[in-house]
Amino acid sequence: MQKLELKNVSKVFGAGTNRVQALDHVNFEAKAGELTLILGPSGSGKSTLLTILGGLQQPTEGQVLINGKRFDNQKGKTADAFRLDHIGFVLQSYSLVSYLTVKEQFQLVDKVKKTGNLDIQRFQEDLKRLGIEKLLNKYPGELSGGQSQRVAIARALYANPDFILADEPTAALDSARVQEVAELFKNIAQKENKAVVVVTHDLRLRAEADRIYQLVDGQISLEKSN
Amino acid sequence: MFLALHEMKKEKLRYGLVIGVILLVAYLIFILSALAQGLASQNTNAFNSWKSQSVILNKDANGNLAQSMMTRNQVETASESNKGEIVGLAQGILKAGNARQSATFVGLTEKSNLRQNVQLSSGHWNNNDNEVVLSDKLKDQGFHINQKVKMGLSNEEYTIVGFAKKAVYNMAPVVYGSIDDWSNIKGVTGDFVGSGLISSTKQSTTDGSLQVLNKKELFNKMPGYSAQTQTFLFMIAFLIIISIVIVAIFLYILTMQKLENLAVLRAQGIPSSYLIWNTLAQTVLILIIAVLLAVVLAAGTALIIPTAVPMSFDPRLIATTAGLLIVTGIIGAVIPMRIIAKIDPVSVIGG
Repeated sequence: MQKLELKNVSKVFGAGTNRVQALDHVNFEAKAGELTLILGPSGSGKSTLLTILGGLQQPTEGQVLINGKRFDNQKGKTADAFRLDHIGFVLQSYSLVSYLTVKEQFQLVDKVKKTGNLDIQRFQEDLKRLGIEKLLNKYPGELSGGQSQRVAIARALYANPDFILADEPTAALDSARVQEVAELFKNIAQKENKAVVVVTHDLRLRAEADRIYQLVDGQISLEKSN
Repeated sequence: MFLALHEMKKEKLRYGLVIGVILLVAYLIFILSALAQGLASQNTNAFNSWKSQSVILNKDANGNLAQSMMTRNQVETASESNKGEIVGLAQGILKAGNARQSATFVGLTEKSNLRQNVQLSSGHWNNNDNEVVLSDKLKDQGFHINQKVKMGLSNEEYTIVGFAKKAVYNMAPVVYGSIDDWSNIKGVTGDFVGSGLISSTKQSTTDGSLQVLNKKELFNKMPGYSAQTQTFLFMIAFLIIISIVIVAIFLYILTMQKLENLAVLRAQGIPSSYLIWNTLAQTVLILIIAVLLAVVLAAGTALIIPTAVPMSFDPRLIATTAGLLIVTGIIGAVIPMRIIAKIDPVSVIGG
């Protein structure tokens, strides 16, 4: 079973009087088939946690484990290749390349990741499920906030990653869309057996989550676990 | 290339403007190069058409062949160790009726090898004294075959029997005639037999009153030649530097504008080498399009430019300049490529 873990992870920025402890001995896990929420106010360390989970920066202390193997010590091309193959990022904004049509966003994935992407049948199923099958020739600038977010999710899914890390994916959405995206993530986690981690301060996502962490001032606590 | 092509396709106006500016700079460089070469050839065309490499001339002439005069003794001494041909140069006024034209008389021996490489555009070579072959530039001034003309200090009349191509020396059209006529036109006594010995090979002399110059040295000694060519060279060099700066500024601005996008792509695991390669490909594409359009524009200009403008659109020169522009333009992409190499995805996501 795919599993993403943080063991006793701390992250410190700066030194002396400028020292900021963004994460303080965090223990965390996200499993395949589950939608994991990390809730917390702005400045609580959510984004730091997400970037460490995704291998974009290293912890000051502790370990990041993927399926029991250390990931935090991977750098450069190895880390790039791992992210490309195993981790799909869905970000609050700028997720899509502005000068590529929706169809070309997927073609870009094909250009850099030659194998292991979704086959045409599963890809078309995803497009239908996300309701974006008629948007393939549109540019990101022609999409609404909700449509952009769904395309970003589809793009992340297209590379067929084991883990989906989403940063404030509902920030630009109205309540109806929030529910839609929450159900979508839940669906992806359960039907496609992926570990979906969503970092947010949007409490409307709680109902769909299998596991909920609260992060306050860099300290994490498990609130709900199935 | 994928990202580069799609970005340029989507942002046509933006990249059109970038290409337009580089095109104009490249066009200006081509025009200046053609002008530099054209003006330089006004000094050197005749000498180059003789396919010669060196000249022996009087040391007192300070390297100016037209001012040099060699005595029979000097020529005989120099000829002992060299196979140069005697030529006589005289700058003077060509007169026909009321028409006056500054020209350089070049006196050659009847069997001169130097003639072999000079192409005639009409008529034939002078076979007798008092016959001359004029630069075909003088055709436009109304000179014609069988016309009687006077030249320099001579009161004799000379008959035009032909016109020669590329017959310009030190900015003045050349009048080819016999070496015997040179004395009259120059107004010198019989002891002086010519201006110098010209050869297609290296020459040397032990005569302290003579000087040996190779082709490059001879050209550089021509009044104004060196200053003119170096001025153009500096202008072209500065324009190439300006083109590098333009490419660098445009690519820097374009890269900064899409930095967030690029950071997200890095976060998604797209290697920086892929993004750098795309930027490089985009730069090369922009430069090739701009330079090719500039070549087309320069070729169009060559077709319509009046013949009085001394421009020489040499395909080899344009190809070299175009290649240089593309290669140096790539230097302009170094800064954006460095920025992309150092993109930190965390800067977009936060944390």
